Amino acid sequence: MSGQDRISASVAVKEGQAVCAACGHDLGPATKPWKDHAHRREIPLAQAGGQAYDTGHEGVLLRHFYCPGCAALLDTETAMAGDPALDDILAARG
Amino acid sequence: MAGTGETSYLVATDVGGTCTDTVIFGTDGVIHIGKALSTPPDFATGVLNSIVSAADPMGLTLEELLGRTHLFIHGSTVVDNAVLTRDGTPTGLLTTQGFEDTLHVTRGAYGRWSGLTEERIKNPVQTDRAPALAPRDAVVGIPERMDCDGAVVLPLDEAAVEQAVRFLVNEKQVGAIAVSFLWSFLNADHERRVRDIINRVAPGAYVTLSSDIAPNLGEYERTSTAVINAYAGQITNDYLTSLQGLLAEKGYDGATMVMQGYGGLLPAAEAADRAVGMIECGPAAGVIGAKFLGDLMGDPDVIAADMGGTTFKVGVIQDGKLEYAREPMVDRFHYLAPKIEVVSIGAGGGSIISVDPRTKVPHVGPRSAGARPGPICYGQGGEEPTLTDVMLLIGYMDPGQFLNGSITLDREKTERIFKEKIADPLGMSTQEAAIGIYRIASAQITDLIREITVERGLDPRDFVLHSFGGSCGMLAAAFGQELSVRRVIIPYTASVNCAFGLVSADVAHEYSVTQNLPATTSAAQINAIFAPMEERARAQLAAEGIEPDRMRMEWSVDLRYSRQVHEVTTDVAADTPLDDAGAARLVDDFEALYERKYGRGSAYREAGIEMTMFRLTARGLMPRPTLPAEEEGSADASAALIGNREIYVETKGGMAPGDIYDFNRLQPGNSLKGPAVIHTPITTIALPDRMTARMDRWRNIVVEFDAD
Amino acid sequence: MDPMTFSIIRHRLFRIVDEAVITLKHVSGSAITNEGHDLMVSLYRADGTLLMGGVGFLHHLTSAAEACKSIIRRFEGDIHEGDIFLLNDPYTAALHTSDIYLVSPIHHEGRLVAWSACFVHVYDIGAVNPGGFAPQAPDIYTEGFSSPGIRLVAGGEMRQDVLDTILNMVRSPEMVTLDLRSMIACNNVARDRMQSLMTKYGAKEVDGACAELVNQSEDLFRARLRELPDGQWQSRQYLDVNGDTARVNLTMTKKDDRLIFDFSGSDPQSPYSINCTKWASLGGLFAPLFPLLCYDITWNEGVLRPVEMIAPEGSIVNCTRPAPVSVATVGAIQSVNNAACSTIGKMLGASEKYRNQSTAVWHANHFAIFKFGRNQKGGDSIGILTETFAGAGGARSFADGVEIGGEIPNPISRMANVETVEAAFPVRYLFRRRAPDSGGPGEYRGGTGGELALVPHKAPDGGINYVISGKGSRHPMSEGLAGGYPGAPNSYVWVKAPEDGANTPVTAAGGLDAISGTQERVSWGVYPLMGRDALYVRWNGGGGHGDPIVRDPEAVRRDVAAGLVTLQSAGDIYGVALRDGAVDETETMAKRKSIRSARLQQEASE
Repeated sequence: MSGQDRISASVAVKEGQAVCAACGHDLGPATKPWKDHAHRREIPLAQAGGQAYDTGHEGVLLRHFYCPGCAALLDTETAMAGDPALDDILAARG
Repeated sequence: MAGTGETSYLVATDVGGTCTDTVIFGTDGVIHIGKALSTPPDFATGVLNSIVSAADPMGLTLEELLGRTHLFIHGSTVVDNAVLTRDGTPTGLLTTQGFEDTLHVTRGAYGRWSGLTEERIKNPVQTDRAPALAPRDAVVGIPERMDCDGAVVLPLDEAAVEQAVRFLVNEKQVGAIAVSFLWSFLNADHERRVRDIINRVAPGAYVTLSSDIAPNLGEYERTSTAVINAYAGQITNDYLTSLQGLLAEKGYDGATMVMQGYGGLLPAAEAADRAVGMIECGPAAGVIGAKFLGDLMGDPDVIAADMGGTTFKVGVIQDGKLEYAREPMVDRFHYLAPKIEVVSIGAGGGSIISVDPRTKVPHVGPRSAGARPGPICYGQGGEEPTLTDVMLLIGYMDPGQFLNGSITLDREKTERIFKEKIADPLGMSTQEAAIGIYRIASAQITDLIREITVERGLDPRDFVLHSFGGSCGMLAAAFGQELSVRRVIIPYTASVNCAFGLVSADVAHEYSVTQNLPATTSAAQINAIFAPMEERARAQLAAEGIEPDRMRMEWSVDLRYSRQVHEVTTDVAADTPLDDAGAARLVDDFEALYERKYGRGSAYREAGIEMTMFRLTARGLMPRPTLPAEEEGSADASAALIGNREIYVETKGGMAPGDIYDFNRLQPGNSLKGPAVIHTPITTIALPDRMTARMDRWRNIVVEFDAD
Repeated sequence: MDPMTFSIIRHRLFRIVDEAVITLKHVSGSAITNEGHDLMVSLYRADGTLLMGGVGFLHHLTSAAEACKSIIRRFEGDIHEGDIFLLNDPYTAALHTSDIYLVSPIHHEGRLVAWSACFVHVYDIGAVNPGGFAPQAPDIYTEGFSSPGIRLVAGGEMRQDVLDTILNMVRSPEMVTLDLRSMIACNNVARDRMQSLMTKYGAKEVDGACAELVNQSEDLFRARLRELPDGQWQSRQYLDVNGDTARVNLTMTKKDDRLIFDFSGSDPQSPYSINCTKWASLGGLFAPLFPLLCYDITWNEGVLRPVEMIAPEGSIVNCTRPAPVSVATVGAIQSVNNAACSTIGKMLGASEKYRNQSTAVWHANHFAIFKFGRNQKGGDSIGILTETFAGAGGARSFADGVEIGGEIPNPISRMANVETVEAAFPVRYLFRRRAPDSGGPGEYRGGTGGELALVPHKAPDGGINYVISGKGSRHPMSEGLAGGYPGAPNSYVWVKAPEDGANTPVTAAGGLDAISGTQERVSWGVYPLMGRDALYVRWNGGGGHGDPIVRDPEAVRRDVAAGLVTLQSAGDIYGVALRDGAVDETETMAKRKSIRSARLQQEASE
């Protein structure tokens, strides 16, 4: 793994740090969960996606992670309250 | 008009993707051949050029020839071309409300993977559907509904129709409208009323009804067919009209017959309204030509192989009968129309040879150098090695002789590039690498032919193989032997086979009625379904000038086992109208055919058998051309022997001396043994070791394998 | 081995599998095999390892290898030319009892040289519910006939006692006979062609080429893995059944040239038949792995070697006997498909070279709806609702997902025509079309799923019944990538006709809400479709890719014009304002700006 410059299409890597691919805002080390440094918001499914996502059931959320700098949407998870976030991390170099 | 005693002519011209071929049969028994490059999109020019190229050696001007022509038969790639280049009329679609997405959804992934090679299917992320010929915003749902019995569940909302038509024509600027309602093939009333409205409100629009063009079950394929036909309809109309006008200008005052994908001819006026009928009529003509030759030579079982610049195509004739495609496609669109089955792979003379850098495995095609830049050895700018270049390197082509010496092949450049791109990466000598590629191509073609025969429960060992196309002769004997066919025939007319096929076709109209009945249905009831079709057919043929004694009515019925999906079109062998014995025989024939095609024990007959479609092929027999036959003379071919050079000989595992013959100096009856090469003006025939080639009385080359 | 001969043999092996597949479809003639392409045919080496995997339902390629290996173990020393073995026990190798494996040894000049294996989803297997998915099964004992390996054909002769025993336990034994016959014919063709190949080129040469093919695949796959970044990616799938929610958790780690799929943390096995065994999970993760990572590599044992799986025993993805598993293929296995597709997609998205191979999840939620009843001609009809095979494509990093574009584990699938269904069943469709707003929003939108409604029509018994094992009506599981939303969830609604006798409009252009009656959500069990009632089904879209508020506004305008996205969603989710059918650029910019600031306003909740 050399010159690795991204973790996903929305989160890039610069000098070992995870950064927002849109604005460059720092999101912590690329080898740690970058979501810890993102702005997180959980919205009940029916509200988040509109009528097509209204199942009549409660308890399912869309969990969004935004760049604290430019509010770009970096990742979306389907989650139930209390379930941990999904971590995407690069391995340490070497 | 030709006077008595003066020779009159039948002219047949086939417009293919690259070449436009002409075959002229004179009443004096002489055949004349012409070839010219096709001239898309205005194909008519190429047609005239092609006829002129045949007329010139006859010492006739175009006007003189056409003035003495009694019939003109035509096949053309104009519809395929319009679809492929997306050059048709902007088209709209009217369909049952609630089902507007039928055309675009293509029954799910079906339209996404159909027509793709297995390599591409294995990478779904990189695949897409082809955009539909009618855009989604030019599709309007109409309140109407019929059910599985053709009963009206919701009457047609004519006001909505009128509004939709105005919208399509005025706002969406369509020039053609397809109409396709659910179950319309059982009850066409709503569709016909829509046509009336369109004719009143927008008389200039080209209209196709799905119940006219493809009255079959399956709304996706039926809708797709109607759209393709509407899309290409005006172009087809205009093309045929202008072509006939041009010919008339040049002195032709006879009828024009047009080839259809099912191997029959229609008068131009009718062909003009059935654009989908012309799809792949060229390859269909090729198979018909092979059938004619097979009939002439007493071979009812023929594999017809055609190797062009880009693709290798195969069709099959079994017991004198043609095979029809089950899920026909044009480009990447499905459609329903009777169509002779021809399968193909990307292995032609121009197929590019490559070596996968990761695996070092060599590949033939599917990319092609086409006619331009073409093979390296043609010296027209080609820089990538092709199969034709391989043929040169293994000694089958003579650098000095190609196309009667009109092109000198560039052997030095071919060797150099082949060594660099193929031989060196494989770690082999140029010779070894070229031989290996030849073996791969032969194996791939063998596999393709096995596919089309085995898939139908047929055994290649029962067949003779006909070899057509510029590149086929150099491979045919080799793969023919691998398939263990009975013998291989390279016909005299091989280079213009499609045009030749036009001449051996009959006028044929296809009619069908879709109706689901148990197989125990009485003969009387079956006859009652065919009677009106026959009446229409006879009237149609009579109007086209066919005498009653030249009319043939061929009945067939699609049957299936009730719990299984496969349908088999079964010819009605008994005399018609049917009696009880004849009706029973139909069912027996179906079962035998099903078993042959789908395997022993594959039928679940306890669930019952049903009939799903009743088809009538109404033929107007055309006079068969006579191929001039000569006396077969001595077997001694030495007068045609022009030399000797090193060629690839499989039994010797490499290059070895082979005799070189000039086709033009061979006489009927001459026989020669391999290893040898026969050069013809258009192509080359490679004759491996332990095989014998003989020129028959029609000047075909017949290759037989020595007994083991 | 000389590259030419290798090339020819390789090509021939592909064709052998092709011919065997054609034979299978021909002899069977069943809709599920021919339309749904619910089948698999592959070749295996003498030791049972995968040699050449065909294009069918991909999660079977590796479990059929385990089937070969377990037959080798069980019958060692007693395997003869012309034998055919049957195996369908999920705790030995099969995915569920309905997917019967027929495994045939291939001999050449007396020596065992290879195996061929195939499966179809048979017409019925004698489970507590007809059709093979048994939502009412409490354990494996109620999921029909099940064998860990039995000799069905001995030296070319059918063992009638074995066949009769199997048929004695299933509904529609004639149709099941046909299924078995088709698989026998398929294996016979594979055997004959393989024998011809070996006779022509020599058994040693062919085996050498096979070994080289396997090593080649391993080398190529390891080389590709080394090009991808080292790291760890996670995904999670929820399964809801009867009010219970189960989780499948996946952490995929790539280190150097190894790939590890770790399902630790997944829920314990469920009392309902959505569980799957460890062989099924292994197969399930290869279903997206082959086409996403190995699209240009031959699918065989070589691809398996760099991959490891950890699946805790007693979990929903490695259940223990006698847990029920009949719904596995549209239950836990599909969750494994989706989870693996998601993590592989994330890993590819982190690679500059391979990012165009990444994809959001396609069609995460199958619905197995089997209709049964007396048809309009008085006979009996039973069959699956084939729209489950229609699917929906996940968005790519460079393009939208394909609307109703299929699924990854089954590369060649399609649904039946409406007319085909109406001809065979006493039902009528009110509509069938793409479902608006079902494609997961993103810069690139997930492909839409579809929606349909059925009503009884000319049914002699007033209607039909159906068994439904429907997934995904609570949790949308076609996950997106890089911010993209998941595709919309599935919806299964029984519309009970109003008592006042009001009729449902014939085409209900207005959709579900235009169908008169009270709506009751269904998802699991056996239900009637009678009288003037309707059944509505909407299936999921594919996941989206990227942030919806950077989607090209012109693309959103086109989506709205085509009815794929509603005007409401265009504004609320994509931040696009349309006026008179055209993009209002100023208002769009303002909307998107306000969406951005609203995103950061709420307190970060951790």
